[in-house]
Amino acid sequence: MRKPKISSDWMAGCSGCHMSLLDIDERIINIVGLADLRATPITDLKEPDEKGVDVGILEGGINNSANEEVAHRMRKRCGILVALGDCAVFGGVPAMRNFFTLEETLRRAYVETESTDSSGKIPNDPELCVPTKVRAIQDVVPVDIFVPGCPPDADTIYYVLSELAQGRRPELKGDKLQWN
Amino acid sequence: MVNITIDGKMIEVPEGTTVLQAARKAGIVIPTLCDHPNLIPYGGCRLCLVEIEGARTLQPSCTMPASPNMVVRTDTENVRTARKFVLTLIFSERNHFCPYCQVSGGDCELQNAAYHEGMTNWPLQPNYQTFSMDASHPYFVLDNNRCILCRRCVRACGDLVGNFTLGIEERGARSFLVADLGTPLAQSTCISCGVCVQVCPTGALIDRWSAYRGRETQVEHHKTVCVGCSIGCGMDVLTRDNNLVRIEGDWDAAINGGLLCKVGRFEPMADEQHRLVTPLLRKDGILKAATWQEALDAVDSHLKPGKDGVAALASTRLSAEALYTFHQIFAGKLQSDMVTSIEEGQTTAISASLADETGKPFEAHLDTLDTSDCFMAIGVNLVDNHEVAGFFVKRALPAGAGLIVVDPEPNPLDNLADITIKSKGLDLDILHALSGAVIQLGLAKEKNPAVLDTLAVYTEKTGVPVETYLAAAKSLASAQHPVLIYGKGITSKSPAVLKALVEFGRLTGAGMISVKGSANSLAASQYHLDKVFQLNGHQAAYIALGDDKPTQRLIQRLEKVPFLVVQASYTSQLTSMADVVLPVGLWTEQEGHYVNLDGHLQKAVRSLTPAEEIRSNEEVFNAIAQRLGFEPKNDWKKQLTQRVSPVVLTIN
Repeated sequence: MRKPKISSDWMAGCSGCHMSLLDIDERIINIVGLADLRATPITDLKEPDEKGVDVGILEGGINNSANEEVAHRMRKRCGILVALGDCAVFGGVPAMRNFFTLEETLRRAYVETESTDSSGKIPNDPELCVPTKVRAIQDVVPVDIFVPGCPPDADTIYYVLSELAQGRRPELKGDKLQWN
Repeated sequence: MVNITIDGKMIEVPEGTTVLQAARKAGIVIPTLCDHPNLIPYGGCRLCLVEIEGARTLQPSCTMPASPNMVVRTDTENVRTARKFVLTLIFSERNHFCPYCQVSGGDCELQNAAYHEGMTNWPLQPNYQTFSMDASHPYFVLDNNRCILCRRCVRACGDLVGNFTLGIEERGARSFLVADLGTPLAQSTCISCGVCVQVCPTGALIDRWSAYRGRETQVEHHKTVCVGCSIGCGMDVLTRDNNLVRIEGDWDAAINGGLLCKVGRFEPMADEQHRLVTPLLRKDGILKAATWQEALDAVDSHLKPGKDGVAALASTRLSAEALYTFHQIFAGKLQSDMVTSIEEGQTTAISASLADETGKPFEAHLDTLDTSDCFMAIGVNLVDNHEVAGFFVKRALPAGAGLIVVDPEPNPLDNLADITIKSKGLDLDILHALSGAVIQLGLAKEKNPAVLDTLAVYTEKTGVPVETYLAAAKSLASAQHPVLIYGKGITSKSPAVLKALVEFGRLTGAGMISVKGSANSLAASQYHLDKVFQLNGHQAAYIALGDDKPTQRLIQRLEKVPFLVVQASYTSQLTSMADVVLPVGLWTEQEGHYVNLDGHLQKAVRSLTPAEEIRSNEEVFNAIAQRLGFEPKNDWKKQLTQRVSPVVLTIN
């Protein structure tokens, strides 16, 4: 049987979910044995194969036009899309800014921060991506599997990956969903 | 009895049982949020929806009474979908991002409900509307953004505490919790009892000490009793690593049914008094740290036997064991004529002497308050002291119970009262007038009461209109279960006033409840520690203050005493005057028994370990007894019953 191809990417997150993925430690060798790990932010290949992958994993929410592009590209190129972590599933910590207007948050970040000297400036170069409200991935593209957690436990991530690598759909409940 | 079937299980339950209660009885889990076992079912959150055969739609099990041959299913696809949908709506309405919160210490009922339903995501994203926070209160914080509008707090504030401070403003998704009509909590009518914080299922109402300080699953629970006053409320003291985390009311406690007031719940948390951590001994006019050996040697050399040897006072916050040993040392071994409590019998002495005289108890148990339909509070402030008893009175009022307040001073219950009687210093006359009114109305419960033409005489003397007496007498004497609650305003007066009150109680058939004073007032009284304190040439004074606070009056009276020993937990003006200071533990740091106002003997347990040099009150007394060469007897329980108590003692 052909090994399923897995690719991942990150957006508006802290990369903590990928760190938690690395926390599966030596078990990653089992995953490599079962699946073909393709493009990820922590490997050399940066974009998922144009021909497509079986499983796409996205960390982080979507908070600008660049993230939208990443999400759409992954959705187009993967069979099963996994939203990994609270930012991807719910919007997470970045979504805290949704309780303010976009203008307020930009002003706070670029003008009003304590470390900004006399005249801060909100960047407006036309080449820059456009910031938006922070959204969960499912608000932009359909998601197949949700793995919440901030970050998800390494054991949960291993369970999800190994199930997907073996062609099964992981089901998160009990201690896979709630850990201490 | 009603037979119903839930998930194929046949269950027999009493009539009036809800489907939810029946399911719980059968061990079937139905998730809930707005439901609370101690609150009246409300049907607000719809999480407990179940399928009932023959019903057109899903029904909330918390408000649905079980009816004969009902067939209920709690675990169908339809029900599961509905639960998820309900949770989805709740999550989408406000800021319920668990990683932002964690204030409820991993014990958020909303979070747990989502886990229970295996929710991995929110099908609807939040609408990010914001609500105000209220951090004005010294003990807790209200964050409407975490509120799920279950109204548990509103119901607890009204139905359990009778305070009706909390309410909801606006409608639908814009609804939010307010105090009074939108007053900041600190300026509102809130009495800081904290029952709302205890019932809040999320992080909307959080206390300032335990929030954000670790998981609730990682605490130790100590079920104990509050020693804040004589009610003896059951409480659960939560500790972690020998630190106080939080104090909660014990829902299983019969006396308070889970309620606490600020004295029990928050004041111990907010305590910033300075602790004594080592014995102190006065050397060359200055108090200096000493060893226990040196301190006890100094005490020992001044404990001279004889009537005017050592005057001894003990706090009524001390355990019964400690009070009894204290009595044995000073009244027994040292034969002092001045051994009493710092309450000096102000709240108990005349009740005790009346019981001594008649040879039988005459007071009722506290639970009569919950069935009463007419209260008369006389010479007692149930809002500032003995607050939980006040809750029992206030919560009965909306159902139509009557309230008569007799107090020469302004009383916080005045504005809730149907009738207030105010006349300075004339309690005896008021009581005679009331008794006269009952007889004149022909409502006396006693057959052939002595015909007294007292009403007219005393109406004039007290200057209170006769209609007031007649109305008060009528409402009490025609009630099914009237109760007279009295306090220091009566017990600090002459025995004649109490006798007149008892007489009035007999005429109206009312139960009598005396609130007494501190946690162990009644035990102190049973050990005869109820004398008025006077120094008549005593050569030394021994003040076993424990974790109590000394009054200015006490401090003044002790200024001239030649040698002063203070056994206390906190530094105070009194300890700075002392020649020897012995550091003792707080109520949380020692165990012992307490006899509450209605005679229940309860055990307080030790929840915290004090610092190295701090001893328990009992240990100190035992050390002194040993130095005096005698072994104190341990029959404190038996001794409690050697005197007729004003209320039937419940001693197990």
